[in-house]
Amino acid sequence: MSNAYIDKFPAEAKVVKAAFYSSFLALALGGVFGVIQTLHRTDIYRFIDSADYYTVLTAHGVFMVITFTIFFLVGVFTWAVTTSLDRGVEDIRFTWSWVGLMTIGTVMAGVAILAGFVDSIDISASVLFTFYAPLQAHPLFYLGLVLFVVGTWVAGADWFRSWWAWKKENPDARIPLPTFMVLTTMIMWYIATMGVATSILVFLLPWSLGWIETVNPLLTRTLFWFFGHPVVYFWLMPAYLLWYTMLPKFAGGKLFSDPLARVGFVLFLLLSTPVGIHHQYLDPGIAEGFKFIAMTNTMFLLLPSFLTAFTVVASIEHGARQRGGTGYFSWLKSLPWRDPVFAGMALAGLLFAAAGFSGMVNAGMNINYLVHNSLWVVGHFHLTVGTAVALTFMAVSYWFIPQVTGKELWNRSVALIQVVLWFIGMTFMTNSMHRAGLIGMPRRTAEPQYTGFEFETAVGSVGELNAQIALGGVLLTLSLVLFFANIIGTAFGSRSDNLPDNGYAEALSGSDDAPRVLDNLKLWTAIAVVLVIIAYSLPLMSIVDRGGLFGPDITAFPANLESVRFLAFAVEHLGTAALESAGTLAWNTLPEVIR
Amino acid sequence: MNIHTYEKVWLIAALLLIVGFIATITYGSVGLGIAMIDDSEETVEPSELDEDFGEPRVEHVGENEYEAYVIAQTFIFQPDPIEVPANSKVTFYVTSRDVIHSFSVVGTNINTMVIPGEVSTMTAEFDESGEYGIICNEYCGSFHHTMEGQLHVVPEDEFDMTELSVESDDEVELGNETTFNVAVENGMLDDLETTVTFEIGNETTEEEITVSGESTEETTFTVDSTELGEGDHDWTVTVDDYEESGTLTVVEDLEEEEENGGNNDE
Amino acid sequence: MRISKAGLLVVLAFLAPVLVELRTVLAWVNIELSVLETAIIGGIIIAVILVWAFLPENGDEEGAERDVSNSEL
Repeated sequence: MSNAYIDKFPAEAKVVKAAFYSSFLALALGGVFGVIQTLHRTDIYRFIDSADYYTVLTAHGVFMVITFTIFFLVGVFTWAVTTSLDRGVEDIRFTWSWVGLMTIGTVMAGVAILAGFVDSIDISASVLFTFYAPLQAHPLFYLGLVLFVVGTWVAGADWFRSWWAWKKENPDARIPLPTFMVLTTMIMWYIATMGVATSILVFLLPWSLGWIETVNPLLTRTLFWFFGHPVVYFWLMPAYLLWYTMLPKFAGGKLFSDPLARVGFVLFLLLSTPVGIHHQYLDPGIAEGFKFIAMTNTMFLLLPSFLTAFTVVASIEHGARQRGGTGYFSWLKSLPWRDPVFAGMALAGLLFAAAGFSGMVNAGMNINYLVHNSLWVVGHFHLTVGTAVALTFMAVSYWFIPQVTGKELWNRSVALIQVVLWFIGMTFMTNSMHRAGLIGMPRRTAEPQYTGFEFETAVGSVGELNAQIALGGVLLTLSLVLFFANIIGTAFGSRSDNLPDNGYAEALSGSDDAPRVLDNLKLWTAIAVVLVIIAYSLPLMSIVDRGGLFGPDITAFPANLESVRFLAFAVEHLGTAALESAGTLAWNTLPEVIR
Repeated sequence: MNIHTYEKVWLIAALLLIVGFIATITYGSVGLGIAMIDDSEETVEPSELDEDFGEPRVEHVGENEYEAYVIAQTFIFQPDPIEVPANSKVTFYVTSRDVIHSFSVVGTNINTMVIPGEVSTMTAEFDESGEYGIICNEYCGSFHHTMEGQLHVVPEDEFDMTELSVESDDEVELGNETTFNVAVENGMLDDLETTVTFEIGNETTEEEITVSGESTEETTFTVDSTELGEGDHDWTVTVDDYEESGTLTVVEDLEEEEENGGNNDE
Repeated sequence: MRISKAGLLVVLAFLAPVLVELRTVLAWVNIELSVLETAIIGGIIIAVILVWAFLPENGDEEGAERDVSNSEL
């Protein structure tokens, strides 16, 4: 008899397993769309219409950063709360209810997006992950997102319930670190999702249903980024939780400092939301002062990440020395590189450091002119969410899946090759994306090949950059194939009694060293709310004051109308463009003056 | 809470780095004057840009200073190309007629979001001539990838904002006189001293004119059809590099075509 | 072997970004390499590392190190 998670919490293991499998399904779909994009935009191999590229892009974005990451998160968080409080969920039916809500939400949004490929269905949502109005999606898309987010709210309530029940029985005990991380992350999420909930429920959904005529594009956009930056920390926090509480264990040691881990998460709670305007440095209608405030907050948000880097590296080194490692650097050799879980998480952390550097550039208000909306940004977030988060999740799955299925991992060598392949693929893809961004190549574009000018590279050529992007994309796809082979192989395996015990890393400096005030969640929530009010009330008031609550008179860009009418609209405008260029030609060449 | 010495050092170094970043960015804003896109412009109604914003154009507003009024819409920029002289300071005013676009001059720092209802402004200096591509880097619809324009920075001595238009008859009855009304518009602030050259048949007439800044000067050439004789006669009006041309037909009798006599070009 | 197989794999993986950006770094000091030249240099570096990794080590240090890097898990 082993002492795995499934042995102790069989009912919860089913929930966690369902969440993981849902996230993997999204990962598979997202991966397929991902490789289509790399091959299409680099013009290596095109088999879809360029107009459909944006449907592919929407699907890739939503499936990867909403479904894959957040389903994995709820799995990890459920595991973290139950394991660290050492008690099952309060009511398993309640737990399944939020799994159900999230699933229904995903299916609705997914159907709305994928229907965009089928001309005969009058539904589409090719509005990308950011769904900026006046681009308009089918109401089904917005409704799906709402249900999904409500599902995560209920999930958070579930974990708070567990904690409250536990606190009654342990009135004086410190909150166990994994639960502390879950609770602070969820408070951040509750605050952050207020933005997107307002944007969808008050404006976009009624607008898509035809109940209101117009929306204020700058307002809905600002509300999106109110949520849009903290959501990246929402993806990242489970990875941080795993780096703090699991990676030291996999390295063979202990967490360096429990108190500083708490400080880090409190800082994330406080600073994740009042920074969203840094995504809008180049937006008209927002005063420079507000942008400056967002910039300083963003810079201070580096602090908890620096803390994490120190603690994680120190913990790993401690592990290596426990394993007999010596010297300044040769302890690195003593790390368990053979273990795909450790190797994957360590490589993910390494690329996250690189992502930190490109992130600092993005955060630099005035340097941002150079890289805003260029492929640089895409390179940046494929290092953060695409590697630090995704690779950590995949690597830790090799430990989690056996825990929740009770089956041994199908093949450790394949797993090791998989994580290394992801690292190499991302290296190629993101490196060239950063470089392409610096020469001005835009993101979110089906064909970054223009007729009127050419991108000029300092070293190498545009062709080489494209080849690198495509090569990276193909390696990542291969890596995904290996990942799914391993997961499926494991799922079809038989029960094993030879599994590692469930648990997480102890701390060298434990929670007793942490000031009690760190556990005062009410205090931190209050400060976080105040900071958000300071950062957002004036900009939002100013935006509403300038543009009105429902904005100027703009027609919805009918992304959800039947493709015929849409095409007619596009063709009409292309016609205007053609006339315009003909006019220009005439102006330049014909010996007549127009106008 | 006991914090390890190394960790304290690391924390202080991290804080210094953060403060350093903020300081350099502040220096960029205050010292170097890199202004952010902001809320200094009034809002406009996207459906009434003609009144609120005017037609897409370039204006000369001061010595070596220009203003470019650009409208982005699916899937074009207007004007296209945008022409400005080298060694100039250009302020761009950009707005959108429909969805959110961007106005991004490739290979430069000129990059802004273009949001319907809002006007983005930014000022750039062009020291040398050159041609740049302008792209939209915000997804704006199915043909987003076709949205591009051009920015031409032309050598200072080749740049002008002169427009020439000629109004004349297509046909004239033998024995009558006909007039060519030539208008020379000068969009620059400085006076334009130039020569209008009018050629018809074998005759060439020249006239020196001075067009003051931001105004239009008209001049008239009168032709006696008897001297030309019956038949088609090609004519050209030239002002600097601009040329207008056409054909005047001298006929025996003007009949019902009379009404179509006036020709407004285009 | 001087390094565990898994360690070697990770070292080679880490070489990927280094080789990719080697060209850019060299271009700064005015050494411009073509793609082929970069690939050849990369191949040589990888070969050298492989040869080094597979060289037998002196003494009994080898056994000890392998034990550490391949232990349990």
